[in-house]
Amino acid sequence: MDFPRHDTDTARAAHQALREHAQQTGERHLAALFEDDAQRFERLSRSGCGLLADISKQRLTTETLSLLSELARARGLQSWIECLFKGEDVNWTEQRPAMHWRLRDTKDRAPDVHAQLARMERMVDRILRGQWRGCEGDAITDVVNVGVGGSDLGPLMASFALSEQRPPRGHRPRVHFVSSMDGSQVAPLLQELNPATTLIVVSSKSFTTVDTLTNAATARGWLEREMPGRNGAVLRCHFVGISAQPERMSRWGIHEDNQLQFWEWVGGRYSLWSAIGLPIALTIGMQGFRELLAGAHDMDRHFQDTPWQDNLPVMMGLVDVWNLNFLNITARAVLPYDGRLKHLPSYVEQLEMESNGKSVTRAGENVTHHTCPVIWGEVGPNAQHAFYQLLHQGTQPVACEFIVAARHDRLNADGSEFKQLEDQHQLTLANCLAQSRLLALGEHALPADLELPAFKRYRGNQPSTTLMLDELSPRHLGSLLALYEHKVFVQAVLWGINPFDQWGVEMGKVIATDMIQVLESGQGGDNLDASSRALAERARRLNQD
Amino acid sequence: MRIDLFGDTLCAQVTAAALAQSGHRVNWYLPTGRVDQALRDQGRVLYQEPGLAELVAQQRDAGRLRCLGFNEQGDAPAPVVFLALQPGTFDQARAVVDRVAAGSACRLLVNQSTFPVGSSEKLQARLIKAGVDTPVACLPDTLQEGMALQTFTRPNHILLGCNDDAAEVLIREILRPYNRRRDVIQVMQPREAEFAKLAISGMLATRLSYMNDMALLAEALGVDIDMIRQGMGSDPRIGEAYLYAGCGFGGPGFSSDVMSLTDTLRDKRISAELLSDVLRINERQKEVLFRKFWRHFDGDVKGRRVTLWGAAFKPNTDRIDNGPALSLIEALWAQDVDVHVHDPLAMPELQRWANGHGELTCHDDPYQAVRGSDALMVVTEWKAYWSPDWDDLHAAMRTPLILDGRNIFDPDYVRGHGFDYQGIGRGQRRPARPSK
Repeated sequence: MDFPRHDTDTARAAHQALREHAQQTGERHLAALFEDDAQRFERLSRSGCGLLADISKQRLTTETLSLLSELARARGLQSWIECLFKGEDVNWTEQRPAMHWRLRDTKDRAPDVHAQLARMERMVDRILRGQWRGCEGDAITDVVNVGVGGSDLGPLMASFALSEQRPPRGHRPRVHFVSSMDGSQVAPLLQELNPATTLIVVSSKSFTTVDTLTNAATARGWLEREMPGRNGAVLRCHFVGISAQPERMSRWGIHEDNQLQFWEWVGGRYSLWSAIGLPIALTIGMQGFRELLAGAHDMDRHFQDTPWQDNLPVMMGLVDVWNLNFLNITARAVLPYDGRLKHLPSYVEQLEMESNGKSVTRAGENVTHHTCPVIWGEVGPNAQHAFYQLLHQGTQPVACEFIVAARHDRLNADGSEFKQLEDQHQLTLANCLAQSRLLALGEHALPADLELPAFKRYRGNQPSTTLMLDELSPRHLGSLLALYEHKVFVQAVLWGINPFDQWGVEMGKVIATDMIQVLESGQGGDNLDASSRALAERARRLNQD
Repeated sequence: MRIDLFGDTLCAQVTAAALAQSGHRVNWYLPTGRVDQALRDQGRVLYQEPGLAELVAQQRDAGRLRCLGFNEQGDAPAPVVFLALQPGTFDQARAVVDRVAAGSACRLLVNQSTFPVGSSEKLQARLIKAGVDTPVACLPDTLQEGMALQTFTRPNHILLGCNDDAAEVLIREILRPYNRRRDVIQVMQPREAEFAKLAISGMLATRLSYMNDMALLAEALGVDIDMIRQGMGSDPRIGEAYLYAGCGFGGPGFSSDVMSLTDTLRDKRISAELLSDVLRINERQKEVLFRKFWRHFDGDVKGRRVTLWGAAFKPNTDRIDNGPALSLIEALWAQDVDVHVHDPLAMPELQRWANGHGELTCHDDPYQAVRGSDALMVVTEWKAYWSPDWDDLHAAMRTPLILDGRNIFDPDYVRGHGFDYQGIGRGQRRPARPSK
């Protein structure tokens, strides 16, 4: 099948219409927009899959949305969505499909996926029942996930987010994450752990990632030193491998029974739904993990079946394009008002910036507009004490994204001890709503007769989206993450880029290998630039002393 | 005297049979259910204990022991009521108390059930609230499973919680046949008696877990824990009882006593660190034979065959509750090991537990059970296992590996017959004098 053309006359016309629209209306203050239209929230909020997206605090109107839809139509979004879900090679630079959605499809349509899930379930069950044995015969109490990028951020984020939920049966192990290549995480962790009861999960799609393999080698050295002479039992009992490359796992020494596989058609940053999600399943149980998948599947259906004006990923993708390309807002802050979503910002940073930090179209031309904005974030209430100053009174426009759960599950329990926690949840919600209001309205949110000196003033007009989850359950988290994934795809279509490759991170790995030689021997530094040569030389000298 | 006795514990059965034997007319009320049916319709007994089945049958034939359903009414309410209910069934105790309060014929209520400390006093308060002044005494169940009848009829000590003189006279009269050689009754407050009983169990459990920790050290140091045990036991401050390292304690009473004591401590906001560790060590110990098996084969155990000798948590009983056999079988199942079991008494109980749980082959003949096995695990020290025919055993097994969870064999002797032998805490001792 042919992909739709990106650059067409209709697309140019739609783009131009938006540009003019932005010139006419883009600077209108949010306070005025709310004043104009009492129904603004009803018109500009959407819900589905247990999520509500309020875009009424964005600097746009329903007219903006229809113009954006025109652009999306001209860019062939509908065909692109079909191509994605038909398994066409939407990852054109690597000639393969991107079928992360298939990881949460039904059993009849994805039997291979469900076969791996069943393998994973047996493993999870054995660990939770205390029947996965170390080489001395002890039950495993600690699991160390060794991975980086998608093999780290997704599982870490979701395990942490859902850890209030426990597996219905069995005893969950403590789950640890090790990613940094310098050993600064793995070394102190291993000191705390009992080798006899520790299981190492080596997660790497290619099983060549140097960060992961060096950490795994350190863990392996530790286990073999601590428990010598076990005739291979250390590898057999203490290592699980998760990869799309079974032969490489075997070559490294992962026992065949301990291998979980996923596929080339899953991008690393889209892989938490596969066996890469093992730490999540260990934290909340396999049933909970399947709920997470079901939530994502709900969003897959929603994305395919819902008309654009009510389609959450489409609407949110269009809003981001509007902010970046037409209002020239080049930064976005991800602000969860929930400590459980502490790792969501780094997850979203990778998902969006590694996907859409591109500048070449399918036709091989440089794009003529911005693509992905700079994204950063932090747990909202903590960020209030850090960078909100810039949001409120700085010079940069920043689009904000507030994420909050309406209910907190534990609050449904009885008893006075929960009252305090309930109050804390209310306080957090109140802060979330207050901040988005003040950012949007500025002084219009304050009493009218308030006279303020210049340095105390609030300009307002910082746009934001609020994503309100009914609650932070596995199912709703699944929907939320799939929403981000599909939104990224929508943006990529509008920008004409491939969101599924990451060529920009490959070359650094290669030239780092050359640099090792320079650091070790001092040889080969002549071809380096003056700065790199001097830094390498200084580090080498200090290491010799 | 006429006595009404409520409950289906081992203590209930022993008390009912023994009191009937000494001439009382006992109405024994059982909760409706499986055990009750088994007893009444098929003449079977609840618990397998030496001499107990015969005694129950004898007393029923003699007409002094009648079994009734919990809610049935006997001829007339008896002047003395015994409660020997299962732990955790305080509701039933309350129901009996209400029945007693309604009857007005009762002169003494004796609580033998193991409930949390203070329960007998709670029952007393309930009676008083109902306007009845029947005293409640506490006679904690200190029977030893495997010799339950003997410990009832020839006790070394009897704890009696009672603060009513008339009640004490009455209960002394009932216990008189078992208290002849010397007076072994120690009278104290009901809550003291309840506490003392749990504290005894806690202490014994602590000794066992302590010895099991010492056994680990003995293995690491290459000494035999049995020498250490003898050395310790001969010190009169310590004494010889409960110093045997082994593959973990179990049973319906012992571990639940320790758990109940742990809960009581936590209820009072006293950290139960020692007892928690005692229980944790015991859980670890229940798997010790599995770990030895696993290490012997370096974790490569899938599809191997293992035989357990013994499933009962101790000899002379068919009870398997909380016993190490269950933990072992679960661990073996999880590794796809083919499990075979022999036990002289507990096979029906084990089969019932295993139903719908996992596959397990039961054998009537211990040598048949080990045929083709890669390991023999001795879990219960039944007398019949102490001196096996080593040649037959060796010929039957595929891998001659003996894992002795009760240290009933002589390591050197067994090894001399071509077996790999591992006990609990039996490090390979060095020869007495290094050979030149």
